[in-house]
Amino acid sequence: MANAHETETPVSITTARSDDPHMQPLAQNPARVEVVIAILFVLGLICFGLFGYAYWVIAKPWTLGATIGSGLFLIGVGMVAWGKYLMPRGPFVEERHALASTTQERDAMSDALQNRGARLIGRRKALGGLLGGGLGVFGIVAAFPLLRSLGPLPKGTLFHTDWRKGSYIVDQSGRRVHEDDLLVSSIATVFPEGFQDTDNGQAVDQVVLIRISTSDVVTRKGRETWGPKGYVAYSKLCTHLGCPVGLYEQQMQTLVCPCHQSMFTVNDGAQQIFGPAPRPLPQLPLYIDAEGYLRSQSDFAEPVGPGFWERG
Amino acid sequence: MKNLPRLLAASAVALLGTATAFVSTASASKPSPNVGLTTARPDAGAPNSGVVTDSSGQIIKYGSSAITYQTPAQLLGVSAAQLENLGKALYMQNCSSCHGEAANGVPAAGTPGAYPNLVGLGPAVVDFWIESGRMPAANPTTVQALRAKPVISHANALAIAAWVNSLQAGYPLVPQVNLSNASISDGAALFALNCAACHTITGGGDALADGTYAPSLHKIPVNQIVEAIRTGPGNMPMFTGNLSDAQVRDIVAYVSGPISHPANNGGLGLGGLGPVAEGFIGLAIGVGVLALLGFWVGERNNG
Repeated sequence: MANAHETETPVSITTARSDDPHMQPLAQNPARVEVVIAILFVLGLICFGLFGYAYWVIAKPWTLGATIGSGLFLIGVGMVAWGKYLMPRGPFVEERHALASTTQERDAMSDALQNRGARLIGRRKALGGLLGGGLGVFGIVAAFPLLRSLGPLPKGTLFHTDWRKGSYIVDQSGRRVHEDDLLVSSIATVFPEGFQDTDNGQAVDQVVLIRISTSDVVTRKGRETWGPKGYVAYSKLCTHLGCPVGLYEQQMQTLVCPCHQSMFTVNDGAQQIFGPAPRPLPQLPLYIDAEGYLRSQSDFAEPVGPGFWERG
Repeated sequence: MKNLPRLLAASAVALLGTATAFVSTASASKPSPNVGLTTARPDAGAPNSGVVTDSSGQIIKYGSSAITYQTPAQLLGVSAAQLENLGKALYMQNCSSCHGEAANGVPAAGTPGAYPNLVGLGPAVVDFWIESGRMPAANPTTVQALRAKPVISHANALAIAAWVNSLQAGYPLVPQVNLSNASISDGAALFALNCAACHTITGGGDALADGTYAPSLHKIPVNQIVEAIRTGPGNMPMFTGNLSDAQVRDIVAYVSGPISHPANNGGLGLGGLGPVAEGFIGLAIGVGVLALLGFWVGERNNG
């Protein structure tokens, strides 16, 4: 066993003699270590075999994981131990050869370019053009999926939904909502009747219908008739990024957006009181018809959902 | 760490904002209670379909094959008067210090109006709060009562509900759900639309605002799920006319089935937070530990 100061300094791997301490394995008894490593490899091999067996017989995640995991672990430990105990202990240095080319090589290169290559290269204009054209077309068509991934054109849905004057309010199963259906502090996600047949029915049309009282409610000046018998309806699309504002805290009387925690007050027109939402949720004006069904007076007075263009 | 002061400042601003929001919403008027009211829809928990009355004309049972609603006495098969007597004694012992001896939320000592009035709320409300272990409250001043191991037995909770209901009859009665014809796929769709917003799509629950949170739905007794949907405990809204009893039954089947027993093939759900959490754990723990182990095994300590 060499003492410490003999092996601390790295030696050149190309010049070290075979009896140099650097060339000796770390193991004091290499034969025994070899046996241990061999056992590790054999155990690993058995584990891999068991993995194959488990795959056919009891393919449970834990059996597969345990067998292949143990196998890889045993093989890995064996490999690391081999490197550590049986290989020359080092440390070694290996001098890097000079990076620069010799003068001769450089001259030959410039000769090749100037005397022969320039002509050869210049003659390939047609090929170069074709290559450029091909890549150009590729660049153009590569933009197609990119543009298509933006989805269909929003067209009028930026400004209008399927809510119309007199639209019946229906729940998720298409059933019309009657004025006596919801108790105070109930919530329902509702749609305009026929929403299943429209492209945007389940996107821009969705509305949260909340009953906050048994008598008419006015959420804001100018909305005197919008909340008959305590029913208020707000667009479910957050004015920040369009997430569904479905978290209704009935004791706090707030609607919360799950994405960025914008909060809106239910009692006074879904005014935003916290979070990044820039505007209140648009309110849908409601009325109750002669048969007692809830219907909308009109479309929303303003665009629903997140801002766009100059709406910010 | 250079960004630490900035992070701290941002957290302070966020906290301040939440506090402001709380102050501004705390004064918002709360919905008036539904005393004596029920939805007009016949198949949505209201006592207007399948009604059974006793000899004195009191409604003791109603509902459908999906969910039946019964008075506590009818459910337990005992005499109403006996049950109410037992309930009154239990109420005075366990509930009256906060809700008052008349169950109207006015305690003998303490602040009137600080505690809910229970009169006319219906047996399902009382039964839910007691059987979910939230009442009697461990600490009546917390923002939200926690689900706990109930300290009052099923029969005793029903007795208290019976006595409170004897002060003024309210609805819904105590539900019993029958899952035999439930559609789990319909339940999943209804869950996604109506419940997942707050309780998350895995049913694990999540934070709301102002220190409140939507609790986990994993392994909740089935009839308590019906009670919560129909009565809207705490900050949860109630779901009345837009969900039929059959639809509520489907939701219950989904919540007590796949939601409560998720198929985590990897062995650990990691909160069901998706690939971000899984990737993070995989890299940080899996690869990290393996790398450290590799370094340790392979380290050359000459000497």
